Amino acid sequence: MDTIISTAKLNSSEIFDLMKQFITEVIGEEFVEEMDITMESSFTKDLEMDSIEIVSFSEKIKNHFGEQIDFTGWLSNMDLDELINLNLGTIVNYIEECQ
Amino acid sequence: MARFVFVVPPLTGHINPTLSIGAVLLQRGHQVGWITLDAALASKLPKGGELLLIEYAENDLQKQESEKYLDIITKKIVYGIDSIKFLYEEVLIPLNRHSYEGISDWLDRFKPDLVITDHQMFSGAIAAANKGYSYATSVTAPAAIKVMDELPKVHEWEINQIIALQKEFGIDLETAIACSEELTMVLTSSEFFGEMELPECYRFVGPVIHQRTEQPAFDWEKLNSVPGNQKILVSIGTTFDHEHKKSFFEKVIEAFENEPLTVVVVSDPELFEQWPDNFIVQRSVPQLELLPHLDAVVCHGGHNTVCETLTHGLPMVVVPIAYDQSHVAGRVVRVGAGLRLNFNRFKAKHLKESVTEILSNASFKQAAIEISGSFSRAGGTEKAADLLVELAKEPVVVVLNN
Repeated sequence: MDTIISTAKLNSSEIFDLMKQFITEVIGEEFVEEMDITMESSFTKDLEMDSIEIVSFSEKIKNHFGEQIDFTGWLSNMDLDELINLNLGTIVNYIEECQ
Repeated sequence: MARFVFVVPPLTGHINPTLSIGAVLLQRGHQVGWITLDAALASKLPKGGELLLIEYAENDLQKQESEKYLDIITKKIVYGIDSIKFLYEEVLIPLNRHSYEGISDWLDRFKPDLVITDHQMFSGAIAAANKGYSYATSVTAPAAIKVMDELPKVHEWEINQIIALQKEFGIDLETAIACSEELTMVLTSSEFFGEMELPECYRFVGPVIHQRTEQPAFDWEKLNSVPGNQKILVSIGTTFDHEHKKSFFEKVIEAFENEPLTVVVVSDPELFEQWPDNFIVQRSVPQLELLPHLDAVVCHGGHNTVCETLTHGLPMVVVPIAYDQSHVAGRVVRVGAGLRLNFNRFKAKHLKESVTEILSNASFKQAAIEISGSFSRAGGTEKAADLLVELAKEPVVVVLNN
Protein backbone atom coordinates (compact mmCIF):
# COMPACT_ATOMS: atom_id res chain seq x y z
CA MET A 1 0.00 0.00 0.00
CA ASP A 2 1.08 3.60 0.41
CA THR A 3 4.64 3.97 1.47
CA ILE A 4 6.09 7.27 2.55
CA ILE A 5 9.60 6.66 1.34
CA SER A 6 10.55 6.21 -2.28
CA THR A 7 14.06 7.43 -2.72
CA ALA A 8 14.71 6.13 -6.20
CA LYS A 9 13.83 8.56 -8.93
CA LEU A 10 11.02 7.23 -11.11
CA ASN A 11 10.85 7.59 -14.86
CA SER A 12 7.66 8.65 -16.53
CA SER A 13 6.44 5.16 -17.31
CA GLU A 14 6.99 4.11 -13.69
CA ILE A 15 5.10 7.18 -12.52
CA PHE A 16 2.30 6.35 -14.95
CA ASP A 17 2.03 2.82 -13.51
CA LEU A 18 1.97 4.19 -10.00
CA MET A 19 -0.78 6.67 -10.89
CA LYS A 20 -2.75 3.85 -12.46
CA GLN A 21 -2.39 1.90 -9.25
CA PHE A 22 -3.73 4.87 -7.23
CA ILE A 23 -6.65 5.29 -9.61
CA THR A 24 -7.39 1.59 -9.19
CA GLU A 25 -7.38 1.97 -5.43
CA VAL A 26 -9.75 4.93 -5.60
CA ILE A 27 -12.29 3.62 -8.09
CA GLY A 28 -11.89 -0.15 -7.80
CA GLU A 29 -10.11 -2.77 -9.83
CA GLU A 30 -13.07 -4.10 -11.73
CA PHE A 31 -13.84 -0.67 -13.20
CA VAL A 32 -10.26 -0.04 -14.23
CA GLU A 33 -10.17 -3.33 -16.14
CA GLU A 34 -12.83 -2.00 -18.46
CA MET A 35 -11.07 1.32 -19.02
CA ASP A 36 -8.33 2.22 -21.40
CA ILE A 37 -6.21 4.43 -19.17
CA THR A 38 -3.60 6.45 -21.06
CA MET A 39 -1.55 9.60 -20.54
CA GLU A 40 -4.38 11.47 -22.29
CA SER A 41 -7.14 10.22 -19.97
CA SER A 42 -8.88 13.14 -18.30
CA PHE A 43 -10.09 12.66 -14.76
CA THR A 44 -13.52 14.17 -15.22
CA LYS A 45 -14.54 13.14 -18.72
CA ASP A 46 -12.71 9.85 -19.34
CA LEU A 47 -12.29 8.42 -15.86
CA GLU A 48 -15.56 9.97 -14.66
CA MET A 49 -14.05 10.79 -11.30
CA ASP A 50 -16.02 13.25 -9.20
CA SER A 51 -14.48 15.85 -6.93
CA ILE A 52 -14.29 13.62 -3.86
CA GLU A 53 -12.54 10.91 -5.85
CA ILE A 54 -10.02 13.42 -7.22
CA VAL A 55 -9.36 14.66 -3.69
CA SER A 56 -8.74 11.12 -2.42
CA PHE A 57 -6.52 10.33 -5.41
CA SER A 58 -4.42 13.38 -4.56
CA GLU A 59 -4.16 12.24 -0.94
CA LYS A 60 -2.65 8.99 -2.14
CA ILE A 61 0.02 10.85 -4.06
CA LYS A 62 0.70 13.00 -1.02
CA ASN A 63 1.05 9.93 1.20
CA HIS A 64 3.39 8.27 -1.25
CA PHE A 65 5.79 11.10 -1.97
CA GLY A 66 5.45 12.91 1.34
CA GLU A 67 7.41 16.16 1.55
CA GLN A 68 9.06 15.50 -1.77
CA ILE A 69 6.16 16.86 -3.79
CA ASP A 70 3.53 19.43 -2.81
CA PHE A 71 0.89 17.71 -4.87
CA THR A 72 -2.21 18.89 -2.99
CA GLY A 73 -0.86 22.42 -3.08
CA TRP A 74 -0.37 22.16 -6.83
CA LEU A 75 -3.83 20.66 -7.34
CA SER A 76 -5.58 23.15 -5.10
CA ASN A 77 -4.13 25.97 -7.21
CA MET A 78 -5.94 24.73 -10.28
CA ASP A 79 -8.93 26.70 -11.33
CA LEU A 80 -12.15 25.14 -12.48
CA ASP A 81 -11.24 24.82 -16.16
CA GLU A 82 -7.83 23.35 -15.43
CA LEU A 83 -9.40 20.84 -13.10
CA ILE A 84 -12.06 19.87 -15.63
CA ASN A 85 -9.39 19.30 -18.28
CA LEU A 86 -6.77 17.73 -16.02
CA ASN A 87 -5.33 14.56 -17.54
CA LEU A 88 -2.98 11.90 -16.34
CA GLY A 89 -0.06 13.12 -18.50
CA THR A 90 -0.06 16.52 -16.79
CA ILE A 91 0.28 14.86 -13.41
CA VAL A 92 2.99 12.46 -14.55
CA ASN A 93 5.00 15.37 -15.96
CA TYR A 94 4.58 17.39 -12.81
CA ILE A 95 5.79 14.55 -10.60
CA GLU A 96 8.70 13.82 -12.91
CA GLU A 97 9.83 17.45 -12.79
CA CYS A 98 9.51 17.65 -9.01
CA GLN A 99 11.64 14.65 -8.21
CA MET B 1 -43.82 42.34 15.59
CA ALA B 2 -41.34 42.45 12.76
CA ARG B 3 -41.48 42.15 8.99
CA PHE B 4 -39.42 39.37 7.41
CA VAL B 5 -38.90 38.62 3.77
CA PHE B 6 -37.33 35.48 2.28
CA VAL B 7 -35.63 35.68 -1.12
CA VAL B 8 -35.72 32.21 -2.69
CA PRO B 9 -34.51 30.64 -5.95
CA PRO B 10 -36.92 28.39 -7.86
CA LEU B 11 -35.34 25.26 -6.36
CA THR B 12 -37.46 23.06 -4.09
CA GLY B 13 -34.63 22.08 -1.78
CA HIS B 14 -33.82 25.73 -1.15
CA ILE B 15 -37.44 26.82 -0.67
CA ASN B 16 -38.71 24.12 1.68
CA PRO B 17 -36.66 25.10 4.75
CA THR B 18 -37.82 28.73 4.43
CA LEU B 19 -41.45 27.56 4.50
CA SER B 20 -40.91 25.91 7.89
CA ILE B 21 -38.97 28.82 9.37
CA GLY B 22 -41.52 31.26 7.93
CA ALA B 23 -44.38 29.28 9.46
CA VAL B 24 -42.81 29.59 12.92
CA LEU B 25 -42.28 33.34 12.45
CA LEU B 26 -45.93 33.72 11.40
CA GLN B 27 -47.10 31.72 14.44
CA ARG B 28 -45.13 34.10 16.61
CA GLY B 29 -47.10 36.99 15.16
CA HIS B 30 -44.62 38.37 12.64
CA GLN B 31 -45.30 39.30 9.03
CA VAL B 32 -43.56 37.16 6.44
CA GLY B 33 -43.25 37.46 2.67
CA TRP B 34 -41.50 35.38 -0.01
CA ILE B 35 -39.88 37.03 -3.03
CA THR B 36 -39.83 34.52 -5.87
CA LEU B 37 -40.09 34.08 -9.64
CA ASP B 38 -42.39 31.11 -9.21
CA ALA B 39 -46.14 31.84 -8.99
CA ALA B 40 -46.76 28.22 -7.96
CA LEU B 41 -45.16 28.94 -4.60
CA ALA B 42 -48.44 30.57 -3.52
CA SER B 43 -50.06 27.19 -2.85
CA LYS B 44 -47.17 26.05 -0.66
CA LEU B 45 -46.88 29.08 1.61
CA PRO B 46 -47.86 28.70 5.26
CA LYS B 47 -51.09 30.40 6.33
CA GLY B 48 -50.65 34.16 6.42
CA GLY B 49 -47.49 34.14 4.29
CA GLU B 50 -47.43 36.67 1.45
CA LEU B 51 -46.35 35.83 -2.08
CA LEU B 52 -44.20 38.65 -3.48
CA LEU B 53 -43.98 37.56 -7.09
CA ILE B 54 -41.28 39.04 -9.31
CA GLU B 55 -43.17 40.31 -12.35
CA TYR B 56 -41.93 42.60 -15.05
CA ALA B 57 -43.88 44.86 -17.39
CA GLU B 58 -45.39 42.94 -20.28
CA ASN B 59 -43.91 45.08 -23.01
CA ASP B 60 -40.42 44.25 -21.91
CA LEU B 61 -39.55 41.05 -23.72
CA GLN B 62 -36.39 40.39 -21.81
CA LYS B 63 -38.30 40.36 -18.60
CA GLN B 64 -40.65 37.76 -19.96
CA GLU B 65 -37.92 35.22 -19.60
CA SER B 66 -38.93 34.55 -16.00
CA GLU B 67 -40.51 31.23 -16.82
CA LYS B 68 -37.46 29.79 -18.41
CA TYR B 69 -35.55 30.08 -15.14
CA LEU B 70 -38.07 27.96 -13.28
CA ASP B 71 -36.79 24.65 -14.60
CA ILE B 72 -33.57 25.53 -16.42
CA ILE B 73 -31.60 23.37 -14.02
CA THR B 74 -33.44 20.23 -15.16
CA LYS B 75 -32.70 20.78 -18.84
CA LYS B 76 -29.14 19.71 -19.20
CA ILE B 77 -27.24 16.55 -18.47
CA VAL B 78 -24.47 17.52 -16.12
CA TYR B 79 -21.99 15.51 -14.13
CA GLY B 80 -19.12 16.01 -11.72
CA ILE B 81 -17.01 19.15 -11.58
CA ASP B 82 -18.35 20.27 -14.97
CA SER B 83 -21.69 20.81 -13.31
CA ILE B 84 -20.35 23.63 -11.13
CA LYS B 85 -19.53 25.62 -14.25
CA PHE B 86 -22.99 24.98 -15.64
CA LEU B 87 -24.63 25.84 -12.33
CA TYR B 88 -23.00 29.27 -12.16
CA GLU B 89 -22.71 30.29 -15.81
CA GLU B 90 -26.03 29.03 -17.08
CA VAL B 91 -28.26 28.95 -14.02
CA LEU B 92 -27.29 31.05 -11.01
CA ILE B 93 -25.75 34.14 -12.59
CA PRO B 94 -28.46 34.65 -15.27
CA LEU B 95 -31.18 33.86 -12.71
CA ASN B 96 -29.79 36.40 -10.25
CA ARG B 97 -29.21 39.04 -12.90
CA HIS B 98 -32.79 38.59 -14.04
CA SER B 99 -34.22 38.71 -10.51
CA TYR B 100 -32.35 41.73 -9.16
CA GLU B 101 -34.72 44.47 -10.22
CA GLY B 102 -37.79 42.59 -9.08
CA ILE B 103 -36.23 41.94 -5.68
CA SER B 104 -35.27 45.60 -5.28
CA ASP B 105 -38.84 46.70 -6.09
CA TRP B 106 -40.32 44.32 -3.57
CA LEU B 107 -37.93 45.44 -0.84
CA ASP B 108 -39.12 49.02 -1.36
CA ARG B 109 -42.75 48.00 -1.24
CA PHE B 110 -42.57 45.48 1.63
CA LYS B 111 -40.02 47.39 3.75
CA PRO B 112 -38.78 44.38 5.75
CA ASP B 113 -37.00 44.64 9.08
CA LEU B 114 -34.89 41.72 7.94
CA VAL B 115 -34.23 40.09 4.58
CA ILE B 116 -33.34 36.38 4.60
CA THR B 117 -31.72 35.47 1.34
CA ASP B 118 -30.69 32.07 0.06
CA HIS B 119 -26.92 31.64 -0.31
CA GLN B 120 -27.37 31.14 -4.04
CA MET B 121 -29.69 34.14 -4.45
CA PHE B 122 -26.81 36.59 -4.42
CA SER B 123 -29.08 39.24 -5.88
CA GLY B 124 -31.08 39.19 -2.63
CA ALA B 125 -27.96 40.19 -0.72
CA ILE B 126 -26.97 42.74 -3.38
CA ALA B 127 -30.41 44.36 -3.40
CA ALA B 128 -30.58 44.43 0.42
CA ALA B 129 -27.12 46.02 0.64
CA ASN B 130 -27.91 48.60 -2.04
CA LYS B 131 -31.24 49.52 -0.43
CA GLY B 132 -29.83 49.61 3.09
CA TYR B 133 -31.77 46.67 4.51
CA SER B 134 -30.28 44.32 7.04
CA TYR B 135 -30.03 40.73 5.76
CA ALA B 136 -29.27 37.22 6.91
CA THR B 137 -28.32 34.29 4.67
CA SER B 138 -29.67 30.76 4.77
CA VAL B 139 -27.26 28.13 3.48
CA THR B 140 -29.55 25.40 2.26
CA ALA B 141 -26.81 23.43 0.48
CA PRO B 142 -24.01 23.51 3.09
CA ALA B 143 -21.62 21.29 1.15
CA ALA B 144 -21.08 24.23 -1.19
CA ILE B 145 -19.14 25.98 1.59
CA LYS B 146 -16.98 22.93 2.14
CA VAL B 147 -15.50 23.40 -1.34
CA MET B 148 -13.49 26.28 0.16
CA ASP B 149 -11.40 23.73 2.02
CA GLU B 150 -11.17 20.90 -0.45
CA LEU B 151 -10.77 22.73 -3.76
CA PRO B 152 -9.94 26.35 -2.90
CA LYS B 153 -9.46 27.46 -6.50
CA VAL B 154 -12.88 26.17 -7.47
CA HIS B 155 -14.31 28.15 -4.61
CA GLU B 156 -12.37 31.22 -5.73
CA TRP B 157 -13.81 30.80 -9.23
CA GLU B 158 -17.34 30.69 -7.76
CA ILE B 159 -16.67 33.80 -5.69
CA ASN B 160 -15.36 35.65 -8.76
CA GLN B 161 -18.62 34.96 -10.59
CA ILE B 162 -20.51 36.53 -7.69
CA ILE B 163 -18.15 39.51 -7.43
CA ALA B 164 -18.59 40.26 -11.14
CA LEU B 165 -22.36 40.28 -10.72
CA GLN B 166 -22.10 42.53 -7.66
CA LYS B 167 -20.13 45.02 -9.76
CA GLU B 168 -22.86 45.05 -12.41
CA PHE B 169 -25.20 46.28 -9.70
CA GLY B 170 -22.85 48.90 -8.31
CA ILE B 171 -21.14 47.10 -5.45
CA ASP B 172 -17.45 47.68 -5.98
CA LEU B 173 -16.00 45.11 -3.60
CA GLU B 174 -13.48 42.33 -4.07
CA THR B 175 -15.32 40.02 -1.67
CA ALA B 176 -18.64 38.27 -2.13
CA ILE B 177 -21.46 39.48 0.09
CA ALA B 178 -23.76 36.49 -0.53
CA CYS B 179 -23.13 35.16 2.98
CA SER B 180 -24.20 37.78 5.50
CA GLU B 181 -21.64 38.99 8.02
CA GLU B 182 -24.45 39.50 10.50
CA LEU B 183 -25.91 36.00 10.35
CA THR B 184 -25.33 33.09 8.00
CA MET B 185 -27.41 30.11 9.04
CA VAL B 186 -25.94 26.80 7.94
CA LEU B 187 -28.74 24.27 7.82
CA THR B 188 -26.90 21.26 9.19
CA SER B 189 -25.01 20.30 12.35
CA SER B 190 -21.29 20.92 12.68
CA GLU B 191 -20.90 17.17 13.35
CA PHE B 192 -22.27 16.31 9.94
CA PHE B 193 -20.63 19.26 8.16
CA GLY B 194 -17.18 18.32 9.43
CA GLU B 195 -14.39 20.41 10.86
CA MET B 196 -13.72 23.72 9.23
CA GLU B 197 -12.83 27.16 10.50
CA LEU B 198 -15.60 29.62 9.82
CA PRO B 199 -16.27 33.20 10.95
CA GLU B 200 -18.50 33.64 13.99
CA CYS B 201 -21.43 34.84 11.94
CA TYR B 202 -21.84 31.28 10.61
CA ARG B 203 -24.30 29.44 12.85
CA PHE B 204 -25.12 25.76 12.57
CA VAL B 205 -28.85 25.57 13.22
CA GLY B 206 -29.31 21.98 12.03
CA PRO B 207 -31.47 20.93 9.13
CA VAL B 208 -34.89 22.47 8.90
CA ILE B 209 -37.25 19.63 8.10
CA HIS B 210 -40.24 20.72 6.11
CA GLN B 211 -43.64 19.18 6.74
CA ARG B 212 -45.19 19.36 3.28
CA THR B 213 -48.78 20.47 3.22
CA GLU B 214 -49.87 18.34 0.27
CA GLN B 215 -49.71 14.65 1.07
CA PRO B 216 -49.50 12.41 -1.97
CA ALA B 217 -51.55 9.22 -1.65
CA PHE B 218 -49.51 6.14 -0.84
CA ASP B 219 -50.07 2.40 -1.09
CA TRP B 220 -49.49 1.58 2.60
CA GLU B 221 -51.11 -1.82 2.23
CA LYS B 222 -48.60 -2.92 -0.36
CA LEU B 223 -45.73 -1.59 1.75
CA ASN B 224 -46.63 -4.03 4.49
CA SER B 225 -47.90 -6.85 2.26
CA VAL B 226 -44.84 -9.07 2.62
CA PRO B 227 -44.02 -9.49 6.30
CA GLY B 228 -40.33 -9.96 6.89
CA ASN B 229 -39.28 -7.92 3.87
CA GLN B 230 -36.96 -5.06 4.65
CA LYS B 231 -38.08 -1.79 3.11
CA ILE B 232 -36.01 0.73 1.24
CA LEU B 233 -36.66 4.01 -0.55
CA VAL B 234 -34.91 4.86 -3.80
CA SER B 235 -35.05 8.51 -4.87
CA ILE B 236 -32.82 10.74 -6.97
CA GLY B 237 -34.89 13.83 -6.42
CA THR B 238 -36.60 16.14 -8.84
CA THR B 239 -33.69 17.92 -10.48
CA PHE B 240 -32.48 15.19 -12.79
CA ASP B 241 -35.33 14.73 -15.18
CA HIS B 242 -33.60 13.20 -18.17
CA GLU B 243 -31.77 10.16 -19.52
CA HIS B 244 -29.84 9.83 -16.27
CA LYS B 245 -33.00 8.56 -14.73
CA LYS B 246 -33.61 5.66 -17.07
CA SER B 247 -30.16 4.12 -16.85
CA PHE B 248 -30.20 4.59 -13.09
CA PHE B 249 -33.50 2.84 -12.54
CA GLU B 250 -32.60 0.02 -14.92
CA LYS B 251 -29.82 -0.84 -12.51
CA VAL B 252 -32.11 -0.44 -9.52
CA ILE B 253 -34.51 -2.96 -11.06
CA GLU B 254 -31.74 -5.42 -11.83
CA ALA B 255 -30.38 -5.10 -8.30
CA PHE B 256 -33.60 -5.58 -6.35
CA GLU B 257 -35.96 -7.56 -8.56
CA ASN B 258 -37.11 -10.71 -6.73
CA GLU B 259 -35.08 -9.81 -3.65
CA PRO B 260 -36.69 -10.11 -0.21
CA LEU B 261 -37.07 -6.33 -0.15
CA THR B 262 -39.95 -3.95 -0.64
CA VAL B 263 -38.62 -1.13 -2.79
CA VAL B 264 -40.32 2.26 -2.87
CA VAL B 265 -39.22 4.18 -5.95
CA VAL B 266 -39.81 7.88 -6.58
CA SER B 267 -40.14 8.10 -10.34
CA ASP B 268 -42.53 8.58 -13.17
CA PRO B 269 -44.15 5.10 -13.35
CA GLU B 270 -44.23 5.44 -17.14
CA LEU B 271 -40.44 5.33 -17.28
CA PHE B 272 -40.76 1.58 -17.83
CA GLU B 273 -43.66 -0.50 -19.08
CA GLN B 274 -43.29 -2.87 -16.21
CA TRP B 275 -41.76 -2.73 -12.77
CA PRO B 276 -41.00 -5.75 -10.56
CA ASP B 277 -43.77 -6.95 -8.19
CA ASN B 278 -41.83 -5.94 -5.09
CA PHE B 279 -41.61 -2.31 -6.25
CA ILE B 280 -43.96 0.53 -5.35
CA VAL B 281 -43.44 3.29 -7.91
CA GLN B 282 -44.92 6.74 -7.44
CA ARG B 283 -44.16 10.13 -8.89
CA SER B 284 -44.10 11.51 -5.37
CA VAL B 285 -44.35 9.94 -1.93
CA PRO B 286 -45.13 11.28 1.56
CA GLN B 287 -41.45 10.99 2.41
CA LEU B 288 -41.56 12.10 6.06
CA GLU B 289 -44.44 9.76 6.87
CA LEU B 290 -42.73 6.95 5.02
CA LEU B 291 -39.25 7.18 6.57
CA PRO B 292 -40.21 5.79 10.02
CA HIS B 293 -41.35 2.56 8.26
CA LEU B 294 -38.13 2.06 6.30
CA ASP B 295 -34.82 0.32 6.90
CA ALA B 296 -32.56 2.21 4.48
CA VAL B 297 -32.50 4.82 1.71
CA VAL B 298 -30.75 5.01 -1.67
CA CYS B 299 -30.45 8.60 -2.90
CA HIS B 300 -28.38 11.03 -4.99
CA GLY B 301 -27.15 13.11 -2.10
CA GLY B 302 -29.54 16.04 -2.21
CA HIS B 303 -29.20 17.87 1.08
CA ASN B 304 -32.85 17.59 2.12
CA THR B 305 -33.27 13.87 1.52
CA VAL B 306 -29.96 13.12 3.22
CA CYS B 307 -30.92 15.20 6.26
CA GLU B 308 -34.39 13.67 6.49
CA THR B 309 -32.91 10.19 6.25
CA LEU B 310 -30.31 10.89 8.94
CA THR B 311 -32.91 12.57 11.15
CA HIS B 312 -34.78 9.28 11.11
CA GLY B 313 -31.58 7.43 11.96
CA LEU B 314 -31.48 5.45 8.73
CA PRO B 315 -28.36 4.31 6.87
CA MET B 316 -28.04 5.11 3.18
CA VAL B 317 -26.28 4.47 -0.08
CA VAL B 318 -25.49 7.75 -1.81
CA VAL B 319 -25.01 7.90 -5.58
CA PRO B 320 -24.06 11.53 -6.25
CA ILE B 321 -24.74 13.01 -9.68
CA ALA B 322 -23.61 16.62 -9.71
CA TYR B 323 -23.14 19.94 -7.90
CA ASP B 324 -22.31 19.54 -4.21
CA GLN B 325 -23.65 15.98 -4.01
CA SER B 326 -20.24 14.38 -4.21
CA HIS B 327 -19.29 16.25 -1.04
CA VAL B 328 -22.53 15.34 0.71
CA ALA B 329 -21.84 11.70 -0.16
CA GLY B 330 -18.31 12.10 1.17
CA ARG B 331 -19.68 13.32 4.50
CA VAL B 332 -22.15 10.43 4.77
CA VAL B 333 -19.27 8.00 4.29
CA ARG B 334 -16.97 9.91 6.65
CA VAL B 335 -19.45 9.86 9.54
CA GLY B 336 -20.06 6.16 8.86
CA ALA B 337 -23.77 6.45 8.09
CA GLY B 338 -23.57 4.91 4.65
CA LEU B 339 -21.72 4.02 1.48
CA ARG B 340 -21.26 5.85 -1.80
CA LEU B 341 -21.30 4.67 -5.39
CA ASN B 342 -20.18 6.45 -8.55
CA PHE B 343 -23.27 7.32 -10.56
CA ASN B 344 -21.77 6.64 -13.99
CA ARG B 345 -19.74 3.64 -13.03
CA PHE B 346 -21.77 1.50 -10.64
CA LYS B 347 -23.46 -1.68 -11.74
CA ALA B 348 -26.52 -3.41 -10.36
CA LYS B 349 -24.47 -5.83 -8.29
CA HIS B 350 -22.62 -2.97 -6.54
CA LEU B 351 -25.90 -1.41 -5.56
CA LYS B 352 -27.16 -4.74 -4.29
CA GLU B 353 -23.96 -5.38 -2.32
CA SER B 354 -23.95 -1.89 -0.80
CA VAL B 355 -27.58 -2.05 0.27
CA THR B 356 -27.05 -5.53 1.76
CA GLU B 357 -24.04 -4.16 3.64
CA ILE B 358 -25.80 -1.14 5.19
CA LEU B 359 -28.79 -3.31 6.12
CA SER B 360 -26.75 -6.06 7.76
CA ASN B 361 -23.96 -4.11 9.47
CA ALA B 362 -25.52 -2.25 12.41
CA SER B 363 -22.70 0.30 12.62
CA PHE B 364 -24.19 2.30 9.71
CA LYS B 365 -27.52 2.69 11.44
CA GLN B 366 -25.77 3.53 14.71
CA ALA B 367 -23.78 6.33 13.02
CA ALA B 368 -26.97 7.68 11.45
CA ILE B 369 -28.63 7.75 14.87
CA GLU B 370 -25.69 9.71 16.27
CA ILE B 371 -25.97 12.33 13.53
CA SER B 372 -29.70 12.47 14.18
CA GLY B 373 -28.86 13.44 17.77
CA SER B 374 -26.54 16.20 16.59
CA PHE B 375 -29.35 17.53 14.39
CA SER B 376 -31.80 17.81 17.26
CA ARG B 377 -29.18 19.42 19.50
CA ALA B 378 -28.50 22.06 16.81
CA GLY B 379 -32.07 23.28 17.26
CA GLY B 380 -33.59 23.26 13.78
CA THR B 381 -36.53 25.44 12.83
CA GLU B 382 -37.14 27.02 16.25
CA LYS B 383 -33.47 27.92 16.66
CA ALA B 384 -33.38 29.48 13.19
CA ALA B 385 -36.48 31.53 13.99
CA ASP B 386 -34.94 32.67 17.32
CA LEU B 387 -31.79 33.93 15.58
CA LEU B 388 -33.78 35.81 12.94
CA VAL B 389 -36.09 37.47 15.49
CA GLU B 390 -33.09 38.49 17.57
CA LEU B 391 -31.38 40.04 14.55
CA ALA B 392 -34.54 41.86 13.43
CA LYS B 393 -34.85 43.44 16.87
CA GLU B 394 -31.39 44.94 16.83
CA PRO B 395 -31.62 48.60 15.94
CA VAL B 396 -30.29 49.40 12.50
CA VAL B 397 -27.54 51.98 12.69
CA VAL B 398 -28.04 54.58 10.01
CA VAL B 399 -24.95 56.53 9.10
CA LEU B 400 -25.59 59.86 7.47
CA ASN B 401 -22.82 61.18 5.33
CA ASN B 402 -23.34 64.90 5.48
